[in-house]
Amino acid sequence: MILRSTLEEAMYTAMRTASVQMPPDIRAALEKAAKEETDPMAQRHLAVSLQNADLARAGKGLVCADTGFPLFFVQAGARTTIEGGFEAIYQAAAAATARATEECFLRPTMVDPLRRSNPGNNLGPGMPKVELTFSGDGDGLRLTAAPKGGGSEIFGTFYNMLFPSDGVAGIKKFVLESIMNSCYAGKICPPAIIGVGIGGTADLCMSMAKKAALLRRVGAHHPDPLVAELEQELLDASRRLGIGPMGSRGINAVLAVNIETAVTHTAALPVAFNAQCLVGRRWTAIITADQNITYTGDVA
Amino acid sequence: MKNITLPMSKDTARALQLGDMVTVSGLMFTGRSRFHIRAIEKNIFPPLDYQAINCFFHVGPVMRDTSAGWEVVSCEPTSSIRFERYGADVVRRFQLRTLIGKTTMGAGTAQALQEVGGVYLSKIGLSGNALRDQITKVRQVFFLEELGKTEATWVYEVDHFGPFFVAIDAHGNNYFEQLAADVSRALPGIERDLGIPVDYAFTNVNPDSSANM
Repeated sequence: MILRSTLEEAMYTAMRTASVQMPPDIRAALEKAAKEETDPMAQRHLAVSLQNADLARAGKGLVCADTGFPLFFVQAGARTTIEGGFEAIYQAAAAATARATEECFLRPTMVDPLRRSNPGNNLGPGMPKVELTFSGDGDGLRLTAAPKGGGSEIFGTFYNMLFPSDGVAGIKKFVLESIMNSCYAGKICPPAIIGVGIGGTADLCMSMAKKAALLRRVGAHHPDPLVAELEQELLDASRRLGIGPMGSRGINAVLAVNIETAVTHTAALPVAFNAQCLVGRRWTAIITADQNITYTGDVA
Repeated sequence: MKNITLPMSKDTARALQLGDMVTVSGLMFTGRSRFHIRAIEKNIFPPLDYQAINCFFHVGPVMRDTSAGWEVVSCEPTSSIRFERYGADVVRRFQLRTLIGKTTMGAGTAQALQEVGGVYLSKIGLSGNALRDQITKVRQVFFLEELGKTEATWVYEVDHFGPFFVAIDAHGNNYFEQLAADVSRALPGIERDLGIPVDYAFTNVNPDSSANM
């Protein structure tokens, strides 16, 4: 059984680490992009951002001060049991978020949408957001903390209910225009990772787009060759727009286009777009039933 | 790199060109959405000498309350384009010659900056930790109780703060709008190679009149 205290510790440490340490795949992708760019401004955007991440890692600040929406993605196995039941995941997530905020690893950013009042701890109805899924027959837990910045979420979220007659051309046009608009003036903090959901219901479609943007290793393609080909085609197209880091003149507006699909209604072709910013914050904790926690910035 | 003493003079502002990289030294105040809405809709704003403290920094810093006073943990400029509805009014009301933020602003603010002789400076990369070290003093804070640490107005004293680049000059030109025009020119060729017909239109299931709205 996983103890509530183990869960809270893992969630807190994953969230805290995500806020101060850039994942290795993201860093490698940004370093590669920096070598490709030729415009001095584009080069400088990346050099400065990497230096900023170095300072954060050395305990001098955060990879980005907009720590955004506190998100947790939790995966349990068929035999996983938790002290206090699965409800304890939500309690642990709230306690971990409040502690990380109190210690200034998260900025108090979550407010009531109508009153605009700020409780100062990033807690409230719906936040932190915990997505729970089940996979395999294990007895452990795998969780990823992702403080998702406002820029990428606010300016990088689009949904379009297309129809079968709109075809793949419609998907491509929607994604390309979304990249162009969201990267304008560096709104989503490019080089961005673009998540695209195709199929499902509207909420499933957007959820797939978000997970594609946040949880996949940069450079990894979808296992279905048809989907992988579309990912590569859209990435190649984005590199011809003439938009670079932070919306400057350059090549790397986008580091990856990651697509996930779900079956959908025979009358529908829903497409969702969700972007992740250049810092790509996420950190994972793997918890065993005997309270052992390992942390990693890598993605399975 | 050119360092500009704040408050920025009209002459200095008018001499700056799009893409110029600069640092600034002197006094600035911070604000986000709530500052803009309250100042223009409700006439509520901090009682500052806006001629002396004339640089408006769009930011929601991470601030730590210590026994020695307020300490900046990190401060990353926030997306200014969100404030465009109020941008021109705020520039005119406070006669602002320096705006600092992320992204850009629209035509209305560019027009107001041209009138007052001011510029909009946009951030270079993510640099919230370096910027923190260039804030030499946290002078004052306003509306902390009502708005919280993120939306409150902080007054900072800064030294060689930046660098930032000129994204809107004092003559109404916008770096990103020029860039976007080039992107638009590249688009048809990219769409053609993706197999998107020139006259492609998404299926419209709404009344025809709504397509023109």
